[in-house]
Amino acid sequence: METITATDANPFGYTEPIWRLFLQTPHAGEFAPGTLGVVTGEAGSKAARSVLRLQLRFEGGRVADVRFKAYGCPSSIAVGAWIVDWSLGKTAAELATLRAAALRQALEIADDRAHCALLGEDALHAALAALAVQ
Amino acid sequence: MIYLDYAATTPLDADVLQAMLPFLIAEGSFANPASTHGPGYKARAAVEKARAQVAALLGAEPAEIVWTSGATESNNLALKGALEFRGLKNAHIVTARTEHKCVLDTCRHLETQGVRVTYLKPEADGIVTPEQVLQALAPETVLVSLIWVNNEIGVVQDIPRLAPLLRERGVLFHVDAVQAAGKLPIDLRAVPIDLLSVSAHKIYGPKGVGALYVRKKPRARLAPQMHGGGHEWGMRSGTLATHQVVGMGAAFAIAAARLQADAEQLASLRDLLWQRLQALQRILRNGDPARCAPHLLNVSFEGVEGEALRAALPDLAVSSGSACSSATAEPSYVLRALGRDDELANASLRFSLGRGTTAAEIEQAAEKVIKQVQWLRELSPLWKP
Repeated sequence: METITATDANPFGYTEPIWRLFLQTPHAGEFAPGTLGVVTGEAGSKAARSVLRLQLRFEGGRVADVRFKAYGCPSSIAVGAWIVDWSLGKTAAELATLRAAALRQALEIADDRAHCALLGEDALHAALAALAVQ
Repeated sequence: MIYLDYAATTPLDADVLQAMLPFLIAEGSFANPASTHGPGYKARAAVEKARAQVAALLGAEPAEIVWTSGATESNNLALKGALEFRGLKNAHIVTARTEHKCVLDTCRHLETQGVRVTYLKPEADGIVTPEQVLQALAPETVLVSLIWVNNEIGVVQDIPRLAPLLRERGVLFHVDAVQAAGKLPIDLRAVPIDLLSVSAHKIYGPKGVGALYVRKKPRARLAPQMHGGGHEWGMRSGTLATHQVVGMGAAFAIAAARLQADAEQLASLRDLLWQRLQALQRILRNGDPARCAPHLLNVSFEGVEGEALRAALPDLAVSSGSACSSATAEPSYVLRALGRDDELANASLRFSLGRGTTAAEIEQAAEKVIKQVQWLRELSPLWKP
């Protein structure tokens, strides 16, 4: 997937990590249907104008590869990009420790966007629940 | 950076700047235009020349032009002034839900003072029909206020057809013509509007100055909102900012000379932009395309979130078409009044073109928008092509 070719200028005042991840969106996309070892977690709603879908591919008990898709503001898109990158190499037990507060700190998410961090936590925990079912 | 927000404001025309400068400095005519001495009379003459230039673009008499600080003040003076002069008790105003905030907020203020206000809902294409307005009239209706060219979607209301109908019924008619002046021909000799608001900075004049047209025959009476030395026939006291009004006059004179050429060029570039954007599926043009001012194009993009769309276009200066701030991403009340759902109202862009806009800029802007909308749609887990 192509990343956007914006200038580095951030005229909207987003925090540096949010702006960088929004511009680059590393790991954006989805695994081919039927890819082995993939679990998917989704959170949010269209009505709330933010939906985050995370995909984690486990290999030997650890996350070997990741993808995400997001519909929402730049903060929620950056949250998706950050979580999947952070997940790489981790076990399910390690992933389960992630909380919205840590996301807010890592991405410098302001109070009025706290819901974006919660969206991330919810999507990751939905993926872990799907893993438990598997 | 590609600037496509000329409906928000325009740069000062170079000739307008030159016209203004002598009225700021000691070597020029800095005197108070109300002073009764030589330099004062000289400044006064410049003010009156500017008044005639503004009147000329509108087909008005110079004595019908009252200087203000801008269109917000003009709209406040028109509505509060007319209602207060008549008396607020049992008074009724008719306006539309898609008016500029400064008209809607003034109406809400008047409601707290006991005035009854009817807010008409336009058709889905943004049009408020004269019949709708007539139906809303009551015996106590004092004034109808409508925007000539909507500032968000560019829809042109049928003001020339409505005005005589209101005149026949003895109802005052106020028109916010901020986006119409310099874009459409306006002839107040032929169209019986009583009060009409204009601004300088939307047509290459300076910010901080506007005017209210107040008809002399029959005379539209206003209670002043700014009391003081009785300037502007007692309707708006305060020392005139000579350089500002001179700038507005110069800008209006240039606009009058260029009206047709500007309108043709703007419409042709605007149509090019809309044509290029057709490369995207599932986009919607807001407002009736057959009745749109030449400089405006408002488009909703299905499947993308509005804030992300604007952020994805950091080198394009366009308006979101909404009163959105980073804290409260409130979708446009204008688009919602037309029946667009929240998602489409939020995912909209208002492109507004100006004299500086080139075909190359339009091509580049269209390319950027197409690319970023496609990217955000691909990124979305909800998008189904």
